[in-house]
Amino acid sequence: MALWFVLSPLLVVAGGALLLMLAEAFSKEGARGGLALGTSIVFAAGFVFSIGVWLYGVDDVPERLALAPWLVIDHFTIFFDALLCLGGGLAALLAGGYLPEYNIERGEFYMLLLFATVGAMMLAAAGDVLTVFLGLETMSIGAYALTAFRRTSPRSAEGALKYFLLGAFAAALLLYGFALLYGSTGHTDLAGIGEAVKQSGEKTPMMVIALVLVLVGLLFKVSAVPFHMWTPDAYEGAPTPGTTYMAAVVKAGAFAMLLRVLLTCFGDKGSMSWSAGWPPALAVLAVLTMTVANLIAGQQESVKRMLAYSSVAHAGYLLVGVVSTMHSQAQGVSSVLFYLLTYTVSTAGAFGALILCGRRGAEAVSYEDLAGMGRRHPPAALAFSLFLISLAGLPPTAGFFGKWFVFRAAMDSGFYVLTVIAFLNSVVAVYYYLRVLVYMYMREPPAGAPVATPMKSGYVTAALLLSAIFVLLLGIVPQSSLEMAIKAASVFGG
Amino acid sequence: MSSKVSTNQTSDGPESVDSSATRPAWIGPTVLVLATVIVVFALTQVLGHDSGKDILSFSAANATLGSFVPVGVAAVVAALVPTSQGWRVRFPLAVIASLFALFLVRMWPGASGGMTEADIAVTGAAGATESSTILSWLIGLPFAGSIAILFLPRQAPRLLKATTFLVMLGTLCASLPLLQVEMGRTYHFNQDIPWIAQFGIHYHVALDGISLWLVLLTVVITPIAAYASFGSVTTRIKDWCFSLLLLEAAMLGAFVALDLFLFYVFWELMLIPMYVMIGVWGGSNRIKAAIKFFLYTMFGSMLMLAAILYLAYTYGKITGGPTSFDYFELQRVVLPRNVQIWLFGGFAASFLIKVPMFPMHTWLPDAHTEAPTAGSVILAAVMLKMGTYGYLRFCMGLFPEASAEMAATLAGVAVLGGILYGGFCAWRQDDVKRLVAYSSVAHLGYVMLGLFAATQSSMEGAVLQMVNHGVSTGALFLLVGVIYDRRHTRMLDEFGGLAKVMPVYATLFVIATMASVGVPGLNGFTGEFLIITGTFVSNKLGHVNGIQAVGAALGVILAALYMLTAVQKMFFGPITRDENKHLSDINPRELLAVAPLILAIFMIGLAPNLLLSQIRDAVSRTLTDMNSRLEASPAPNYYRGPIKLVARRPDAPLAPTPASVTLTNPANAAP
Repeated sequence: MALWFVLSPLLVVAGGALLLMLAEAFSKEGARGGLALGTSIVFAAGFVFSIGVWLYGVDDVPERLALAPWLVIDHFTIFFDALLCLGGGLAALLAGGYLPEYNIERGEFYMLLLFATVGAMMLAAAGDVLTVFLGLETMSIGAYALTAFRRTSPRSAEGALKYFLLGAFAAALLLYGFALLYGSTGHTDLAGIGEAVKQSGEKTPMMVIALVLVLVGLLFKVSAVPFHMWTPDAYEGAPTPGTTYMAAVVKAGAFAMLLRVLLTCFGDKGSMSWSAGWPPALAVLAVLTMTVANLIAGQQESVKRMLAYSSVAHAGYLLVGVVSTMHSQAQGVSSVLFYLLTYTVSTAGAFGALILCGRRGAEAVSYEDLAGMGRRHPPAALAFSLFLISLAGLPPTAGFFGKWFVFRAAMDSGFYVLTVIAFLNSVVAVYYYLRVLVYMYMREPPAGAPVATPMKSGYVTAALLLSAIFVLLLGIVPQSSLEMAIKAASVFGG
Repeated sequence: MSSKVSTNQTSDGPESVDSSATRPAWIGPTVLVLATVIVVFALTQVLGHDSGKDILSFSAANATLGSFVPVGVAAVVAALVPTSQGWRVRFPLAVIASLFALFLVRMWPGASGGMTEADIAVTGAAGATESSTILSWLIGLPFAGSIAILFLPRQAPRLLKATTFLVMLGTLCASLPLLQVEMGRTYHFNQDIPWIAQFGIHYHVALDGISLWLVLLTVVITPIAAYASFGSVTTRIKDWCFSLLLLEAAMLGAFVALDLFLFYVFWELMLIPMYVMIGVWGGSNRIKAAIKFFLYTMFGSMLMLAAILYLAYTYGKITGGPTSFDYFELQRVVLPRNVQIWLFGGFAASFLIKVPMFPMHTWLPDAHTEAPTAGSVILAAVMLKMGTYGYLRFCMGLFPEASAEMAATLAGVAVLGGILYGGFCAWRQDDVKRLVAYSSVAHLGYVMLGLFAATQSSMEGAVLQMVNHGVSTGALFLLVGVIYDRRHTRMLDEFGGLAKVMPVYATLFVIATMASVGVPGLNGFTGEFLIITGTFVSNKLGHVNGIQAVGAALGVILAALYMLTAVQKMFFGPITRDENKHLSDINPRELLAVAPLILAIFMIGLAPNLLLSQIRDAVSRTLTDMNSRLEASPAPNYYRGPIKLVARRPDAPLAPTPASVTLTNPANAAP
């Protein structure tokens, strides 16, 4: 029974998905308005169950070990369960407003959301390369389909195709890396691989190649430069709730995988060293990711594309946190976890506000579409500003604390240059976030241009309110969530 | 009793401001005023000596009466002088004048001696029951007001304006108890609450003699700017009010924060409202100016944040306990040169951009030119002080060795790039607002020079000059706004002979100009004088202190040159343009907005000791701290060894009992 309990977040979402699929199949065409609500409730239930398991104390349930090494249920997993459900729930609420407005309301969208989230949750729990791959593919296939969801839009198809081809390629690389790892260690479970890597001391060429392949596969999923090529197209092509989902949930799931695989398999002193391990490579990629993404984001004319590049840049900041696990795993991981939390609510809010600014036939895409929004529709503009300020990392919002903790972890680990580069990058980022504010508050649309009217939707409003509450709470009283992140990170000792 | 007499003499100083705006028709009232002053003078003499020869026998009742007489007189005079105005102007003027008089009487250095035991008892009692929440009220009131504004209807501009103004006046009233305390060398109104225990972040605010005047400057300037702006800002009042209140809360917070994290939060919080104010209500190039302002400041603050993080991390490492962001705790860390110079650089970059110092000053003229009047006033009067205050408090307080090392170089930049180059730039401007903006660069060059010189008098002068610059430049920007609202241009050659059509306006403008130039008797003089004399005797400027003082003195001449040229072009000579022939003189709203500043110009000019008496000890404490550190490790080859920790300053407020020590700190959980 206790096993069911610790698995409940995953089971609730999976069971809810199946139930809703049945309900959708038997409901009449045009009577599917309740699906968004149902999906949100399922996600909310998943969230509540995660919190329940957390509060009960997952360590007190010895039965959780029954699933090891395939699924590892610990504080790290439960933290991600809650985070993924939160992101998924926000995406579902946004979809509830977006899909009917653009006349693409079909039940599959919600099922894809739910099943992809199940995959992501599995990924967060995965302790064996097999389950890692299983979770990854479940999540990714959902994401590919979400990208292609606007069937009539060529951009959607283009984005999905790019995403799928590159994603499949990356998955193959990852799989190849896993195979080599198995070949050189004889283990498929991550802990066993880690133990064997630690024992062997010196790296064989095969193991180095395996590490490189695994890294490439992982970095593709978190869309780090130079593996980010698919991101802007997929993000732009997908329907905006799908984009939200990719930016929030898929990214969080990918980071869960990255942390778990890297720190369990290659968490020994040798692999984590500056001279012979992966941190320097990751540090270089972090710098590249931040700088390139920020510079390109400043050049975009489409807000959605700008947000896509900004999401790449945020992956760069997160990688700074990952690099700083080199000196203190617990601190580095906790900063990444907290950052993911703040990033999830801010980015979901930003995409939600973008949805709110447009209507059928006049979706807000470019900066010009937002001109004058601050005067004509103050609440939408205010919400958008709040989330952008949070993404830019200005106090007193969640994003500020997220950045603060990540940079602090990097500083504490002695990566001064890396930290300063990250700081300067956030100045560059401020430029393009502020551009949105400039258009909303300081420009008026050219005379005769179609005036954008915001949509009215209870779902979207609810999602925005929820995100705004999180953004402000995390920005003013981050203590308790921070403690959760620290506790979740404590599974990686040392 | 002599103090009483001089009180009266100075308290009628402000009145002479208004009477100096006299037209021939005002001769009658002037005579009246003089008569009243003489009567009051005699009356106070009588009252003062009434009950005996001994100070201690001076009765409380008489003291109260003695202090109320000048207040009443000031009110009567202010109400009588502006004969061309209606009672709707005269009454508020009377209130403002009497408030100033009250301030003078209460704050007069001898006053507490004259007021004897009663007053001492009051001060003592106030010292004992010094409320620790008052600073939080000061920050909280405008902040709550800004939240409240969000819930008021957009369609009711009058309600929005009234709420904003009342909240600001409430904040002003709430700040008055700050004056009851003799500041001395210590910090007052200390409030220290753990905020984020895991990282040793506290909500720690306190006030000393340096921040006292900056806080008061803020609470006075903001309502004035708001009041003035209600005439010219007509669109999107709700957003405007929200920005103003949020800005006030953030500025107050930044001046009193003694936790570096908290300081940073307030420091960043100031940016957004100011950015919106420039970008939404500014001139034609406003967006570029707003972004420039934001990016420059943000660049600096990011470097500062990195330095703060490193400092806190070092502290955590050396104590082996949790990190701390507390100012007094971080002051204990003595860093070797190679580290300290970088951290100093991070902080200094942030502050010197804000000041702004050459060559990072280029955002300022643009921001000022494009900002709406109220934005310029707040920007010049308060926000620029954030840079000088930050340098004084944090750079000199945390990195004394590095500040001393860099002082000579930076002082050279301040004199050449700030005072002289800024002055020459101002001279060449055709836009009045740009001219005033460049003059700010020059004036803040003085302030920075005073800080770099680091002698008692130069630093007192620097702190005083921060307030002075706020008052006189604030007045100048308000007055430039007046003419801009009428002509929608600020080009010097568009004007000429304005003194004939706008006599009152011209008088006020000339007074503000003179204050800015530094004419004795007005506020600018004392500050600049103290700074220059202090620079002469400084030993921190690497043997060129004399040259630098001379350069600074030349700057005063330059100031007269550019300011008076501008005044001459604008106000005197023939009226060359037809548009200028029928301009209306300053209107009641504008007069009321600028009146307190003009009064303050005279008050500080004639009685600078009112301010200096509170500044003195705080400055001397800063200097003692700095010099004791410098003596411990002689420059230039100062401390080289490992990072070490010295004892907490004896005058620092006690830290709250650390309830959070048991919490695990991830930094130290690491093996």
